[in-house]
Amino acid sequence: MTIRTASIALALLFAASSALAQPAPEPVAPLDLEPAVDLTEPLDHQPPAPAGNRACDGCPPRGVGRSLLQTTGINVLYGLANLARGQATARITPKTWWANMENGWVWDLDDFVVNQIGHPYQGSNYFNAGRANGLSFYESAAMTAFGSATWEYYGETNMPSLNDFINTTLGGIAIGEVLHRAGWLIRDPRASGRGRLWRELGATVVDPVTGYNRFRTGDASASADKPAAMVPSAIGSAVAAGVLWRGTEERAVNSTGQPFVEMDVLYGDLEGGRSRTPYDAFTMRLRLGGGSAVSDAKIRGRLLGQPLGGGAVQFTVAQSYDFQANDAYDFGAQSFEAILGVSKAFSPRYTLRLFGAGGLTVLGAINSLPLGVEEVPEGEVDPDAPQGVSEGPRFYDYGPGSNFSGAAVLTRDRDIVAAFLYEGRHLFSLDGVRANHFLQHVRADVTLPLRGALGIGASGEYFSRHTFFQDADRTEQQFWYPQFRAFLTWSVR
Amino acid sequence: MSRGWTWLSCGALLLLLPGASRAQTTVDPPSPPSRAWVVVGAGSVTVRGDCQTCEEDYPYRSGGTLLGNLGYRVNERADIGGEILWVPVETASGQIRATHFDAVAQVRPWTTRGFFLKGGAGMAFIRNWVDAVGPAPINSKALSVVIGGGWAFRRAERIGFQIFASQHAGAIGDLQTADGDVPDVMSNFWTIGAALVFR
Repeated sequence: MTIRTASIALALLFAASSALAQPAPEPVAPLDLEPAVDLTEPLDHQPPAPAGNRACDGCPPRGVGRSLLQTTGINVLYGLANLARGQATARITPKTWWANMENGWVWDLDDFVVNQIGHPYQGSNYFNAGRANGLSFYESAAMTAFGSATWEYYGETNMPSLNDFINTTLGGIAIGEVLHRAGWLIRDPRASGRGRLWRELGATVVDPVTGYNRFRTGDASASADKPAAMVPSAIGSAVAAGVLWRGTEERAVNSTGQPFVEMDVLYGDLEGGRSRTPYDAFTMRLRLGGGSAVSDAKIRGRLLGQPLGGGAVQFTVAQSYDFQANDAYDFGAQSFEAILGVSKAFSPRYTLRLFGAGGLTVLGAINSLPLGVEEVPEGEVDPDAPQGVSEGPRFYDYGPGSNFSGAAVLTRDRDIVAAFLYEGRHLFSLDGVRANHFLQHVRADVTLPLRGALGIGASGEYFSRHTFFQDADRTEQQFWYPQFRAFLTWSVR
Repeated sequence: MSRGWTWLSCGALLLLLPGASRAQTTVDPPSPPSRAWVVVGAGSVTVRGDCQTCEEDYPYRSGGTLLGNLGYRVNERADIGGEILWVPVETASGQIRATHFDAVAQVRPWTTRGFFLKGGAGMAFIRNWVDAVGPAPINSKALSVVIGGGWAFRRAERIGFQIFASQHAGAIGDLQTADGDVPDVMSNFWTIGAALVFR
């Protein structure tokens, strides 16, 4: 009875709010945007007030109801796409909605990549349905949770999956804000002509919802300044392409090299200043190839930054998204961490930066096999299962945990010359083979400039996994391997 | 805690609110809300355990619940803080006790409306969970996740009132019980209730 009452109460509250709020959109600035009027400027130097319900001339018009509608529209599009693909899970009816509401959350049995990359990307669309309609970061985060929950309950016939909800929401926030800001890096709203159009189209590929809204409202061809909050204080990126050699426990180097491309982005200034604007600074790494299509993806976005000790130490709270696929482990996680950083300039050109971080993993996933099983058995997938229905077994586990890391980075004119990184992770596998997993990753990079932006580099890495099973015998397993990379780099600032 | 007790609590909260408000207005003009966010409330809860591969339909059980929030008002649209939800449910085999400790964020999309959404995550302690996914009682820690929403009245006053509906999940995972392994276990708690809000 309470389920029905609670569900109806939520639905009524929600419908009433949407209906009431539609006629009078509030001309309120998103929380994390710069104020439209600078009170320190003389009045005659003030920029003109933005028109309508925009926080600034280049900002999207604010619309909570429209954002909710577009989030629901995104779910409809994903549902139609699944239906077109013939997925049995897309055949939704009010009966399946009610069955899902009656049942509540479950753990799902989907594929690792679907859950750790696919769902976070889908969540980024919900997030940007908020950002594209002038909502702040945190309001858009709530929109992501709304989109994810409604998808889980009403978008599929599958029972709603709690691990999907967490991955879609937290991963969607991280990926969504990065893509939203990347879109604004591509756009040039003061430009005109064909170049302007191509930039708008390129940004639409990166952030489809914002792009769609800009074309719909005419903002894609209007002249305005970029929103101040979307202009980073600094930007740097490096693309590395080369060959990766992966060792084994017996041999340091396997003779077969694997090509890879890695992109590292440093957006904003993570090292100093007081910040309360989420993701005004973030780092992102994406490695394609090297043994799998995506072998490494990491986003670390600053939620708040505060100088301590007169600026000697920088304190940062960050949100992290992780995905790693290598021979030691497949791993994905949604985390939060606190970071302390110091920097020491040895000369006008050379600076050493030291970082230490620790935090909590809300939900992590790690590949795992039951004790006594050496590899994923062939033919475990039920051939009679309807398309889109995962019936398990699932050979990876879910659970919360902790994370800790340290890094030392030597830069020359802001280019990284040498870097050392240690990352440790503990994951308690709650759903799956009950165990404590302890993962370690050590990485050392050296890069030498060749000419201009071009450089050459080498990297050595070490991956280790130690699993403490909670069986009667308290079985332990350990696996490790080294990895080496040689690459050319191209730095862009 | 019986259902009657739950409704009595909700009624008491409702009665308390006008009294508090009158008491304020007759003495001094109301002071502006502080940065604190304190919520104390009660509700009615339905509990059910399930697992992905379980064939059996496990029972729904109902009871009362107490809810508390303590946190910080970030701005007129958002509050962050901690939440505790205590769920005792009587059964023929004893009392099931579940306690959820969550870090939560509450968002009001429209500052002129009382509507709010809430979400968070933390840890749950499930005790004497009988006949949930098997005959044996279960004690377990779990990953807790909460989503919910509601409507706040008198949201600009120091003492306000809210009605809410929420769903807490206790993600227990794989359980090793006396009757064998039970995979992918989840406990769900659906709640409706009312609460006083102190700011």
